[in-house]
Amino acid sequence: MTLKLGIFYFLAAFTVWASAVVVLGKNIVRSAVALIFGFCGMAALYVLLDAEFLAAVQVLIYVGGITILLLFAIMLTSRIGSTTARVVNDQVILSAIAAIGLLVGLIYASTSGIPAMSGPPRLPETAPFLGRALLTTYALPFEAVSVLLLAAMVGAIVLARKD
Amino acid sequence: MEKPIPIGTTVVMERTGETMEEMYVNMGPQHPSTHGVLRLMLKLDGEYIIDCIPYIGYLHRCHEKIGENRNYTQIIPYTDRLDYLASMSMNFGYVLAVERLMGQKIPERAEYMRVILAELQRIASHLIWLGTFGLDLGNFTIFMYCFREREMVLDLFESVTGQRLNYSFYRIGGMPMDFPDTFLTDCQAFLAWFKPRLPEYDAIMTDNILFQKRVQGVGISPPQVAVEYGLSGPMLRACGIKWDLRRNEPYSIYDRFEFDIPVFDTCDVWARYMVRRREMEESVKIVEQALAQLPPGEVMAKMPKTIKPPAGQIYSRAESPRGEIGFYIVSDGSPKPYRYKVRSPAYVNLSALPEMLKGCLVADCVAVLGSVDIVLGEVDR
Amino acid sequence: MMIFATLVERFYAALAAWGIPWIVPTLVVMVIVVSVVLAYISVAAMFMIWWERKISAHIQVRYGPMRVGGWHGWAQSIADGIKLLLKEDLIPTGADKVVFVLAPMVVFGATVAAYVTIPWAPGLIVRDLNIGILYMVSISSLVVVGIIMAGWSSNNKYATLGALRSAAQAVSYEVPLVLSLLGPVMIAGTMSMGKLVEAQSGRWFGVLPGWFVFPQIVAFLTYFTCALAECNRLPFDIPEAESELVAGFHVEYSGMRFAMFFLAEYANMFVVSAIATTLFLGGWHGPWIPLPGLPREVAHGLFGLVWFQVKCYFLIFVMMWLRWTLARLRVDQLMGFAWKVLLPISFANLIVTGLVLILGKHALLYVGGIAILLLVAILLAARPAARTVRVGERT
Repeated sequence: MTLKLGIFYFLAAFTVWASAVVVLGKNIVRSAVALIFGFCGMAALYVLLDAEFLAAVQVLIYVGGITILLLFAIMLTSRIGSTTARVVNDQVILSAIAAIGLLVGLIYASTSGIPAMSGPPRLPETAPFLGRALLTTYALPFEAVSVLLLAAMVGAIVLARKD
Repeated sequence: MEKPIPIGTTVVMERTGETMEEMYVNMGPQHPSTHGVLRLMLKLDGEYIIDCIPYIGYLHRCHEKIGENRNYTQIIPYTDRLDYLASMSMNFGYVLAVERLMGQKIPERAEYMRVILAELQRIASHLIWLGTFGLDLGNFTIFMYCFREREMVLDLFESVTGQRLNYSFYRIGGMPMDFPDTFLTDCQAFLAWFKPRLPEYDAIMTDNILFQKRVQGVGISPPQVAVEYGLSGPMLRACGIKWDLRRNEPYSIYDRFEFDIPVFDTCDVWARYMVRRREMEESVKIVEQALAQLPPGEVMAKMPKTIKPPAGQIYSRAESPRGEIGFYIVSDGSPKPYRYKVRSPAYVNLSALPEMLKGCLVADCVAVLGSVDIVLGEVDR
Repeated sequence: MMIFATLVERFYAALAAWGIPWIVPTLVVMVIVVSVVLAYISVAAMFMIWWERKISAHIQVRYGPMRVGGWHGWAQSIADGIKLLLKEDLIPTGADKVVFVLAPMVVFGATVAAYVTIPWAPGLIVRDLNIGILYMVSISSLVVVGIIMAGWSSNNKYATLGALRSAAQAVSYEVPLVLSLLGPVMIAGTMSMGKLVEAQSGRWFGVLPGWFVFPQIVAFLTYFTCALAECNRLPFDIPEAESELVAGFHVEYSGMRFAMFFLAEYANMFVVSAIATTLFLGGWHGPWIPLPGLPREVAHGLFGLVWFQVKCYFLIFVMMWLRWTLARLRVDQLMGFAWKVLLPISFANLIVTGLVLILGKHALLYVGGIAILLLVAILLAARPAARTVRVGERT
């Protein structure tokens, strides 16, 4: 068990480091690249939690899809090489409050303990259970999300069309 | 050495004077698809080309000025270097101009020799064009096929002239020597081998749906634009205008042969491809007829030791594989031309490139440039 | 079947008997497995490079490499590898050094990681993850990240354009690719690579081998097309089109870093072929006979290994064949093809597969047959059309 814990701390530190680079990095492309590493770290943490399906989907969707689109958008806009993004903007106090609140909440949760955090049931395959749950118990939220995505897509097309 | 322009820099366009923030791509002069040392400045909006400026002159060698300091015969080797892929046609155009200026008739057999060599040269030139055009579109294999056949033409030329690229074989007043004995059979063997190869090219290029998708509707030059820019050769015939000097203004003995002038009116890269592709067939026809009719006799007319055309001027033109190769010569009666000017087809055709490229994708740039079939030796002179 | 698993277990047991903590044999096994996989990748990639040169040469009436090593220049790749190793390692002045150095590692690492779930032979698989196929697809999508990193960090416009094209291409083709893989997954009801192969052990009507390519021919063709795009092979080699972008994203790379891109490209070809073999061509299934003097399982394993390789290399051969025959598509045509043709086809295939699965297993082959007939009809209809197209002739 100690080995697993060690791996967890290593992965957690890696993910936190990558996320810190995303937020604090001055070069926007480097931030995007760091984001990829952050997502990969998250995926590895999922694997540690026996959620391989989630991990693979994380890599496929977030790394293979979203980050690439992100990089694509960054590269299409001009002045990529020279610009340095501003790290801090006017909302620094608001976000600091939110971040500290989240930290407090997390510390409280990890010290007092939440029932759900006791070891997960070991399933041989998570994918069938996920699929069944999505199409039976959680069918309505699932459909709602698809409608939301559809709306987003229509919005994107409307924005992209120039006439 | 110019510094590369970083992406997103504000650049002032030399020709139009406007400033812009679009991406600029400098293509060439060391780019694999510019067919020599041509430099294109592409103004891009994403992947679309908004404008293009060809920068030429990297191969400029004062061809015309050198011509004014050489006597008429000495100019012939320089004309080789104009369109080094079609030296025979360049020689042909030049000697034709001088002979017309002198009013010189040349022996029958020499006329036939000239036509045979020029048409073989047209095949070789179109082959190298087809190969490199395939290369531009990512098809490597057609390149090798075309070079295989071109080698055979070059072997024929070598047997006649001793040279494989710069022949300098035409003389004012005829040809320096006759065909070697083996030429007739060799040439017929080549034609017999070459004719079945054309369907092979069709299989790999013409009938390939991917190829058609790439070239159809791309790089449009409307007939009016083509005429206004003075395009000639296959570029003009691809705009639906039936203009071929071999037919419209027959020189040498071209009026004796049966051949078609392929014309396509879609005005795109596809039309240019098809015109050149069909022209190879027509050239084969001409060579076959000329070989059959080849008369015996002398190949060189009686000429004076030093050629001194009478004072006067002439503009004489001929149909090279790339279009109208024109020579303008002003003679003052001395052994050297007073003024010697070349109207080269590739130079004029290239000038219409920006028109054709507007609105194309970067990927089409290569296809369109390839379809113009430029030879930088002739563009820059 | 479980020869290798048994071996590993014995190894563990032996070391445990000597009182050595379990971490040691685990690490030893890991190192051995990784070395074997890496060695295989290098040798296979070198072989494929030489093979491609020979194939292209013979398609183009040439000989290809003939000198190095004697017989048909078999050592050419080795010589090239040594040359690339000894070359000066250049990093352009304006480049983002960290990203520039990292990029080939990401590409190579992603490719190598995909080898984990390749089912080489019965029981011979590094790790039969229960989400095997999903893992492979998601890991190979990381290759594009490396390509974008390479293109951007080079500070070269051609490289940036290549990376842009690569990103657009990857995002477009990933979708029909994954959708086409869902067909076999739905039939087999599993995503584990080993179980997918086992699901193809039967026979269709007692005649045809039980490969998923027969009912899923549409999915197979869709997948193969997308796989070509994923590997940046012609006619989809737009990110590195040499006539347009010089070499695309790796134009500034030289020496060993370039070699890593090159190796990864060929290794990736093998990965996509292995996926196709596993999901559509029955993996290691094939006729086999018990070899004298060997246990049945070992003989079966050996034959499986050979069959798997034969099928993979056949697909790779087809990829090379296409590369040296076809012209390159244009960017917008490529996107249009992915979104307007491949995506609807793969969705339709998915719906039909689902319907058939609910309605009954025997309908599978009818659907496959209809699909083949349709395909043949389309091909027959397209062929004469292509021959007669002489747009705009006016002699």
